[in-house]
Amino acid sequence: MMLAVRHLTLRYPNGKCALADFSLQVKSGELVVVLGGNGSGKTTLLRCITRSLAPSSGEVWLNSVDLTHLTGDKLRRARLDLAMIWQHASLVRRTSVIANVAAGSLGRHFTFKTACGGLPADELRAAYDYLHEVGLVELAHQKAGTLSGGQAQRVAIARALAQKPKVVLADEPVASLDPEAAEEIMRLLQRLAVKENIAVLCVLHQVELAYAYAHRVVGIRDGRLEFDLPREAVSREAVKRLYMSEAA
Amino acid sequence: MSASADLQSARALSSRGGWGSAFSGAARIVGILIAILVVVQSLIVVEARPQELITGIHGMADIIRRAVPPDFSKLPNTLWPALETVDIAIFGTLAGVIMAIPLAVLAAANVTPSRSMYYLARGIIGFTRAVPDLVWALFFVTAVGLGPFPGGLALAVHSIGMLGRLFAETIEHMDMAPIDALALTGARRIQIFTHGVVPSVLPSLLGISLYRLDENIRSSLVLGFVGAGGIGFQLLAAMNLFQYREVSLLLIVVFVIVVTVERLSAFLRQRLA
Repeated sequence: MMLAVRHLTLRYPNGKCALADFSLQVKSGELVVVLGGNGSGKTTLLRCITRSLAPSSGEVWLNSVDLTHLTGDKLRRARLDLAMIWQHASLVRRTSVIANVAAGSLGRHFTFKTACGGLPADELRAAYDYLHEVGLVELAHQKAGTLSGGQAQRVAIARALAQKPKVVLADEPVASLDPEAAEEIMRLLQRLAVKENIAVLCVLHQVELAYAYAHRVVGIRDGRLEFDLPREAVSREAVKRLYMSEAA
Repeated sequence: MSASADLQSARALSSRGGWGSAFSGAARIVGILIAILVVVQSLIVVEARPQELITGIHGMADIIRRAVPPDFSKLPNTLWPALETVDIAIFGTLAGVIMAIPLAVLAAANVTPSRSMYYLARGIIGFTRAVPDLVWALFFVTAVGLGPFPGGLALAVHSIGMLGRLFAETIEHMDMAPIDALALTGARRIQIFTHGVVPSVLPSLLGISLYRLDENIRSSLVLGFVGAGGIGFQLLAAMNLFQYREVSLLLIVVFVIVVTVERLSAFLRQRLA
């Protein structure tokens, strides 16, 4: 087991409970998809795991490291094992694709060269391999700002690979992509889990993609865990209930 | 049904509140009256006398008549001061950019390391911008003597304020998503800055710097009037000696410098965009 979320609760100062006693485990080699309606707490869960948000209570464990109370350089070092893929690829648009990919390795290389804007030669070489894995090696020297949404998202996955993480978190990575590009991204995330033996936790809105690619599906509603089941065991009714408003 | 209901409620809203529309009408009249008052008071304060401009047209015509043709025999003497003028601007801009960049980083709310640094940097930027470059030139002429060096220093210090503010605003308005993404890879602060912030804002900063160079060329002409070197110093001397043909030659040289740098700066900024 790689990533464990235990009894996580996040209560905002206005009293609203974004996450309530939420627990979850993601093992190496596993792709777990989180499904839930808007405002159900999916993104908040990821932000608590990365510690962009501090939970009110509960714990986030990465192997034997408790991230919950880490700060400063200890938190930075812990984050080396945790790669994040965003809804929008969040690439540096004015630099090349290859530089964006290799930048994923910066946390492991703190030298005068990398502090001055340079990149380690071996990481640049490795970045070509990562780009080859996502099928974009021919665009290595293109500016990232010229890529399509799907291409940018594949570059973001290559950047995550360059980080050599143990856990990948993906926040609606296919939200702004056409169906074909979305399938491609999900195939890559599944390959990341299986081939690289990485724990992948992916927030999605596309139920069909969850059924097609996830090993396990987690349902979240109003910050609470509704179900955590192998994809074959998740009923359409259970998924439908996730998207019903509380009043209904 | 809902569309027509929306339309009806919108109509009801627009027809409601006669007081509101009456108030906005009165406010508009007050606004126009205030605008007229502002213009009238400015005419009074500057003692605008257009009739004197008409009666003085003979004096202006006389100066123009005495200024033509330009005295091109003095052209070789203007080359060095012209170069000095351009170099004062280059020195001032470059030194200003070097000092403005770290200040801008401290003065940008989204990347500043601390609030106290932010306010300190904003204070320095505000002060250097508020004091006109001519005053800085007088100050530096007193400190280091006559010549182009005080002119360069004056432009450098004034440019810190002008560039620092624009640089800080550029950094504040940049897309923070790539920066947050780099932070979550475990990159250190300096790496996030050099790999994320710098490439994102560099073209804009270069564009702003080129525009500042363009401005500084014009400013360096005036700085010569207070003894800070360059072609402005020669222009003042020629005017004081009533050498109007030399004055017209110098104005042609100034025109060529300003237009050349302006075109060059615009071309480079277009390439950077």
